[in-house]
Amino acid sequence: MTTKDCTELYRKWQQELAARLAKTPERKQRFATSSDIEIDPLYVPDQIDDAYMEKIGFPGEYPYTRGVQPNMYRGRLWTMRQYAGFGSAEETNKRFRYLLEQGQTGLSVAFDLPTQIGYDSDDPMAAGEVGKVGVAIDSLEDMETLLAGIPLDKVSTSMTINAPASVLLAMYIAVAEKQGVPSEKLSGTIQNDILKEYIARGTYIFPPKPSMRLITDIFAYCAKHVPKWNTISISGYHIREAGSTAVQEVAFTLADGMAYVEAALQAGLDIDQFAPQLSFFFNGHNHFFEEIAKFRAARRMWARLMRERYGAKNPKSWQFRVHTQTGGSTLTAQQPDNNIVRVTIQALAAVLGGTQSLHTNSRDEALALPTEESARIALRTQQIIAFESGVTDTVDPLAGSYYIEYLTDQIESRALEYLEKIEQMGGAVAAVEAGYMQREIQKQAYETQRKIESGEEKVVGMNCFQLENEPQPELLRVDPALGRKQKERLDALRARRDNLIVEQTLNRLRAGAEGTENLMPLILECVRSYATIGEICGVLREVFGEYRAV
Amino acid sequence: MERTIRVLVAKPGLDGHDRGALVVAQALRDEGMEVVYTGLRQTPAQIVSAAIQEDVDVIGLSCLSGAHNELFPEVVRLLREQGADDILVIGGGVIPQEDIPYLKSQGIAEVFTPGTPTRVTADFIRSQVKRKRMSLQPAPNKIAHIGIAVKSLEDALPFYTEQLGLPLLGTEEVASEQVRVAFLGIGESRIELLEPSGPDSPIARFIEKRGEGIHHIALDVDDVNERLLRLRENGVPLIHETAKPGAHGAQIAFLHPKGAHGVLYELCQGPAASESKEEAAHE
Repeated sequence: MTTKDCTELYRKWQQELAARLAKTPERKQRFATSSDIEIDPLYVPDQIDDAYMEKIGFPGEYPYTRGVQPNMYRGRLWTMRQYAGFGSAEETNKRFRYLLEQGQTGLSVAFDLPTQIGYDSDDPMAAGEVGKVGVAIDSLEDMETLLAGIPLDKVSTSMTINAPASVLLAMYIAVAEKQGVPSEKLSGTIQNDILKEYIARGTYIFPPKPSMRLITDIFAYCAKHVPKWNTISISGYHIREAGSTAVQEVAFTLADGMAYVEAALQAGLDIDQFAPQLSFFFNGHNHFFEEIAKFRAARRMWARLMRERYGAKNPKSWQFRVHTQTGGSTLTAQQPDNNIVRVTIQALAAVLGGTQSLHTNSRDEALALPTEESARIALRTQQIIAFESGVTDTVDPLAGSYYIEYLTDQIESRALEYLEKIEQMGGAVAAVEAGYMQREIQKQAYETQRKIESGEEKVVGMNCFQLENEPQPELLRVDPALGRKQKERLDALRARRDNLIVEQTLNRLRAGAEGTENLMPLILECVRSYATIGEICGVLREVFGEYRAV
Repeated sequence: MERTIRVLVAKPGLDGHDRGALVVAQALRDEGMEVVYTGLRQTPAQIVSAAIQEDVDVIGLSCLSGAHNELFPEVVRLLREQGADDILVIGGGVIPQEDIPYLKSQGIAEVFTPGTPTRVTADFIRSQVKRKRMSLQPAPNKIAHIGIAVKSLEDALPFYTEQLGLPLLGTEEVASEQVRVAFLGIGESRIELLEPSGPDSPIARFIEKRGEGIHHIALDVDDVNERLLRLRENGVPLIHETAKPGAHGAQIAFLHPKGAHGVLYELCQGPAASESKEEAAHE
């Protein structure tokens, strides 16, 4: 076998990096160990040949195995983004400001379930759920309160919202308008990934077809008006939480990603127009090396799919940019402080895997929503990794490890097998409708449970090393009167607003939904008139119908 | 043949986390139960109506959204309202320890928090359903008779017939037990005087140890062997594991007094009870 020497390409990469650093310097002038061993941005094999270039290459270049940025965390650390939200918009606004003061660099909004499923707080379906797992948002008024005093041109905001993603994005744009910030300057992410809702997370509203339309409408609208926004966060996180393996997480996430790309192409969008705004969301799970390899494999696979299969030309379209959250389902209710250690290891894997942003779970999440103290420890965990461990001093430090490269290759080839199977079924939408991914995940979840119960899989503090009479930690309680208060706010809003205009905007939305025009501008009009999320989704429910699980 | 335990696994409210619910459903199936899963987003009313329609023994509620304090008690309330509160309700999910006493006070039988082995849940269901089914057995029909040990029928009978005025319905020798029995009618029941007919008779040993007096109470039942089976399953000590022939062609069996707070009970099924009723009526 002959190999081609590619040392020349390395020199080129180094020159490009040097040119870049002349413009934007790194975090430090010089990186070195405690023994003053100087640390280079990148370490490469002695022989750089075409085999290396094809599979691994250089960071910031196709196929991005080593990372999407040429110097990764030496330039800028990942965004520390703690998912937060509970109770009322006022309370959550306070928690956001606290987290920003504590050095968090981006916001991440958790909405309550009625908001996520498009019900107002006074809907009978919302009974008991108002403000429980996130903040209750009924109208633009609540969103104004939520974001009060937060400069939307400076902070990037991630919103975990899917079925009604258009409505919440519209509210965010409308609040920014009131702050005098044009939508072109806004940066952030909406999750907007409906396929994994059907597969694993459960906050769907409409059937797949109209849901895909809402998503591609957002792609098209944002490409023009909100160019810095990540229009979707294609999520393996919940697939993993539901019980999948790392390989399934990669495969099902990329299969979903392909379905969105294909839907957008079918809607007539150009690949390089929307693909740079696609982002991903992975889980940071327990198996340290497999997790690191998972990120590397996913980057390589996505780059190849985008360039080779879909013909994307813009390098930004090839980049698999990913947010990571540590694995909530790995946390134990027993001896909750142990969870801090689990989270540390998982977060470290995500960083070594090259994540762009990170949420570290709080120790008490198997018991309740995190307290302020728990949330702070979780953030401190990231800061310790970032500022004390030294793992950020060079790019992709584990590359070239026989083991890591083997695992990366294995994850890729096994995930490709799944992708082939899903393709044969007619793609991700068809596979979801047939319940295929759901069954695969469920099988795996049951298998894991059996291994834990038999003791084959050890969970420290839960099925081994238990404690008798554990002390009960302090937990966060959501004000039980919140449901009533939120209803009162809604009543007052409905009495105060111009209901004639609300009616008109909702009627225009209904007509639009029955036709084919882009719904984003119509939803924005509804939101500006203070129509509620329940009213807007109610109109769409009438036109689109509701999804029933298989 | 006992009916297979039927379980409805339900997700009340809007929570979409169903990994736990699905794992528990599968585990209970593997434990031999019949399990119906409602799917996501069920209101308490929908859950109760499904439970009644599916004729389940147990409802397992799963909630990870923190809405358990509102939703779980509502299920119990609706079950009561519909007269279906014999259905056992258990719960699980992300539920703080401090909420469990409240949920139990509202009629949730048990709450299984993260880390509970599915076997523990299955065992709990089995024992609770057994208890419920046991308590649903019809009560014994009446006291069939009270057995009184006497040294001699001849000496004892005059007190019962002459002083108490009870009718003597007849006498019978039960050779297998080495006992002679005199039957006296009293309302729907009888008093049986038991005289040992040999030195190895259990009555002889009883008198030797404790003197004359009440020996046992016999309960008239319709299903003696079925009851013995349930009692045995529930760990009640028995003298006879299955019924054997007794006086008047009845099927009888004794429970051990150590499981009955010092009283020797006899379960008694068969023609004897109804015959004696007729006999009494003829008097």
